Amino acid sequence: MRTLRRWIERPEGRALFALLFILVIGCVFNAHDAFFRWGTHRDMLRQVSVYGILACGMTLVIVTGGIDLSVGSVLGLCAVVFAQLSLRRGLPAPVAVPAVLAVGAAAGLASGAAVARYRIQPFIATLAMMVFARGLAKWLSGGEKVSRAVQQPDGSFSYVDLPGAFERLDAKVWGGNVAVVTLVFLGCVALSWVVLTRLRYGRYLYATGGNEEAARLSGVPVRRAKLLAYGMSGVFGAVAGICQAAQEQQGDPEAGVSYELTAIAIAVIGGNSLAGGRGGIGLTLLGAMTIGYLEKILSINAVAESSRLMLTGAIILAAVLLQRRRIE
Amino acid sequence: MTTRLSPTALILALACASPAFPKDGGKWVVGMSQCNLGEPWRVQMNADIRREAAAHPELELIFKDAQNDTLRQRAQIEEFVNSGVDLLIVSPKEAAPLTPPVAEAYRRGVPVIVLDRRVLGSDYTEFIGANNRMIGKAAGAWAVGRLAELPAVRKGARARVVELEGLMTSIPAQDRGAGFHEALKGAPVDIVYTADMKWLEPQARMEMESALSVQPQIDLVFAHNDPGAHGAYLAAQAAGRERDIIFVGIDALAQEGQVYVRQGVLAATFEYPTGGREAVEDALKILRRESVPKEVTLRSRVFTPDNVASGGEWLK
Repeated sequence: MRTLRRWIERPEGRALFALLFILVIGCVFNAHDAFFRWGTHRDMLRQVSVYGILACGMTLVIVTGGIDLSVGSVLGLCAVVFAQLSLRRGLPAPVAVPAVLAVGAAAGLASGAAVARYRIQPFIATLAMMVFARGLAKWLSGGEKVSRAVQQPDGSFSYVDLPGAFERLDAKVWGGNVAVVTLVFLGCVALSWVVLTRLRYGRYLYATGGNEEAARLSGVPVRRAKLLAYGMSGVFGAVAGICQAAQEQQGDPEAGVSYELTAIAIAVIGGNSLAGGRGGIGLTLLGAMTIGYLEKILSINAVAESSRLMLTGAIILAAVLLQRRRIE
Repeated sequence: MTTRLSPTALILALACASPAFPKDGGKWVVGMSQCNLGEPWRVQMNADIRREAAAHPELELIFKDAQNDTLRQRAQIEEFVNSGVDLLIVSPKEAAPLTPPVAEAYRRGVPVIVLDRRVLGSDYTEFIGANNRMIGKAAGAWAVGRLAELPAVRKGARARVVELEGLMTSIPAQDRGAGFHEALKGAPVDIVYTADMKWLEPQARMEMESALSVQPQIDLVFAHNDPGAHGAYLAAQAAGRERDIIFVGIDALAQEGQVYVRQGVLAATFEYPTGGREAVEDALKILRRESVPKEVTLRSRVFTPDNVASGGEWLK
């Protein structure tokens, strides 16, 4: 009993509690046993991966007390660039992927510079990047999806083969039991975990979010810490964009619209505080599972869209309230 | 108010009333107000207009994109009228709020071609659009015919269909769904799973994965647009079940739906024509003072693997 209470008192324990709550709902509304089949869980893990990758970057930024609204647009931009480089120009993955990651990093660092160097509020700076990156994605793609169909000068269409990178990313491994994008997501979680808990810069991120002035006075490189957080958020946006393009077999300049809100919801449901200075990547992982299962359960039960939205809103609020009541 | 404005309106109407040949500079200026360029279908509409207009050097086109914002589109229509365009093409986002600016332009003597979606009343020159309900019905009739050929259905079983809807608060999705259901009436077909995929491919893929995990047998997927059908196909492919299912979509864009048919992803896609070419043709007629009908319903084609190479088949 005491161990249980100790668990509940920790943020991880409370996040786990919310996840278990959702899982119980899934067991009750199991849609003719569909919830008890591994395929359902595998699909859920694939579906939540792109959101989860964005949420990793979001967590790093939230720890510094900031917010990154640009992740959905950076995803769209990077999906377009990746499709153009690998699908249209036929560049091999070892060239295309680093190039796209550089695009994402540049977008993130630009936001980070605006926040750290020019002291623009994160909400405003990343809002600007959100609008700009979406525009850039539309400009680069001419407003059209960058797909396998290429229009010839005479108006007819030819088709390019799907690059191997697309197929490998959208594949499943271990006997078809785990999607590759899920492994990419877990890789991003691991990388974020290393940064937050094993590197000196991780401490700097927490210090910056906890009390920026105190951190600066005690010698923490606050500016560089912020640059790192936003830059990594941009890189994760690029990773998510690559995964999105691979799963859609195209680069859609409209991809990722409103994904930033899901990424924020994942971080917050896990128990990360938007005030900064606290939280962790484990919480984000649990938050991603909670949101993912919630969507999956509503989907396999074919719940109508109107009820889905109301239920999702209510459950997000309930999950966050549940966590707070336990603190008091 | 009205009396004070009417002389001005009269002068403006006279000023705007274009002669049967272009004014100074030798060009007719046509304003095109597009409600949103976020969808490939609307990008295609603008491209169709641009391509057709390229053959007519006496036309000068100005495009504006309202970015899915009703009030922005209203402002853009007013800007066009104030800048003295010779003709307006408007593809409105919604009927009611965009009726006043369209009617105002029309009353001030600017001919207005309303494209795809309607406005209220009759204060416009011409409406050009396709009929979503008829297209949905044609898709339903095609599905019923195709499903009747399945061995199990021949033996008396009922066919099992998944419907992936467009955004159900939008009129096109409601009409496509209603037409489809109308055609299914009385046929041995059950819709076993319905979900709102909001026109989005990733959403369609996710919903289809759920349908596949709940439904052991699915004979046909009807998606309200081609990206939705493609997303469903990818989900079925991941589950190794794409060969057991017939996929049907709507829109049939050359670079999208028609490609999916060629690739064997879709068994059929039903064209939702943009009307861009027809709008430019009729704009020229109006500017040359020739008469045009008040209402034009665009014809639609069906594309299947058998006819896609020869440009599809016209629906009756």
